[in-house]
Amino acid sequence: MPKKIMFVEDDEGFYNIFSVPLKMKGYEIIRIADGSSAVEKIITETPDLVLLDIVLPGTSGLDILKELRERDETKSTVVIMLTNFGSDENISRAMEYGANDYLMKYNIVPSELPDKIAAYLGECQEFAVKMTES
Amino acid sequence: MNQLTLLNILIIVEAVLLLVLSLVVFSSTKGSPKEKKVVKGDTKVLKEDFLPIIVHEMRSPLSIINGAADLLVKNTNSLSVEQIHTLLNQIKVSSTTMLDMVGSILDISKMESGRFEITKKMSSISLVLGDECSYFEPLAKIKDVGLECTSNVDIPDFNFDPDRIKQVLNNLISNAIKFSSEKGKVTINARKEGNKCIIEVCDVGVGIPKEEKQHLFQKFFQASNQGGRKGTGLGLFISKGIVEAHGGKIWAEDNEPKGTKMIFQIPIDTN
Repeated sequence: MPKKIMFVEDDEGFYNIFSVPLKMKGYEIIRIADGSSAVEKIITETPDLVLLDIVLPGTSGLDILKELRERDETKSTVVIMLTNFGSDENISRAMEYGANDYLMKYNIVPSELPDKIAAYLGECQEFAVKMTES
Repeated sequence: MNQLTLLNILIIVEAVLLLVLSLVVFSSTKGSPKEKKVVKGDTKVLKEDFLPIIVHEMRSPLSIINGAADLLVKNTNSLSVEQIHTLLNQIKVSSTTMLDMVGSILDISKMESGRFEITKKMSSISLVLGDECSYFEPLAKIKDVGLECTSNVDIPDFNFDPDRIKQVLNNLISNAIKFSSEKGKVTINARKEGNKCIIEVCDVGVGIPKEEKQHLFQKFFQASNQGGRKGTGLGLFISKGIVEAHGGKIWAEDNEPKGTKMIFQIPIDTN
């Protein structure tokens, strides 16, 4: 089974350039373009990782993150913010709400994104094994 | 598609981008350095330089072009034909976005320096409206928004700049579709009142907060209730300039019971 990534991104251009290298690595990518339906879809799909933009139609990425952390089903889901907004305030709020990482779209070459994602998925796998063993 | 062809495409794209950036910097530094800006959802008017705002707006399409080009160069042999097509198409779309922005900046520069000109010729407003509606039909279908265009038969051909009026309609209709929810409806109507042609673009979207209406036609203004939808905030400013260059006026009203009605009128000049 390929790892499942949910990509919450309303901008088709950014979705296209970042999803292509992830698909090439064999990940299953599901796009959510509207913030208001994101939490419910993430709960339904149970992805291995969520890539989350901040400025979205409907509900902002920070509000989505906050709700994900408040819900039992998603409080441990790996969530990586992938955004254009790198203000200190946004970064500290995202970390306070429980983001696993905060990446700037401008600073990432799309072909390098799978490596960053793989590291987080690997950590999750190890964590899952430990949980099972205990 | 071989690597050489791809490289050639990318070289051309990069050359275009350099030209675009040069134009932007030239135009922005040439204009008035202290432009006024209305911040999103705020009635406060701030003094801001034009350059940082527009550079920020251009960063997204530039990043996308750069990212797509990087993927094409590094993975030419492992990308599928479909992926290559997606990335090349994305370069085209983002380049068009940038060129539109440059066009907007040049228009604003001309408007503010009093050099903006329109080219009137005897034209049919019904045909212009029909063209624009046909152009937006596929987008409306994708968004599941109804699009209805009507034009009263008693409007004679008259002198106006059809390309510039198309630009105004393009802006108003794309906004109306953008801010409509699924199953929404956009109606466009042209009618004659005395010696004026009145065109209305109505939607049943979220509307514009009352206190923000006065700022609607200012540069960079974006209503606070747009729900994260992005735009440059230049379209309505330019539309106002075009309509006024025709000797007309443009304004916004509530579309009862819900949504916004954007209206502009231009004189019917048949001489």
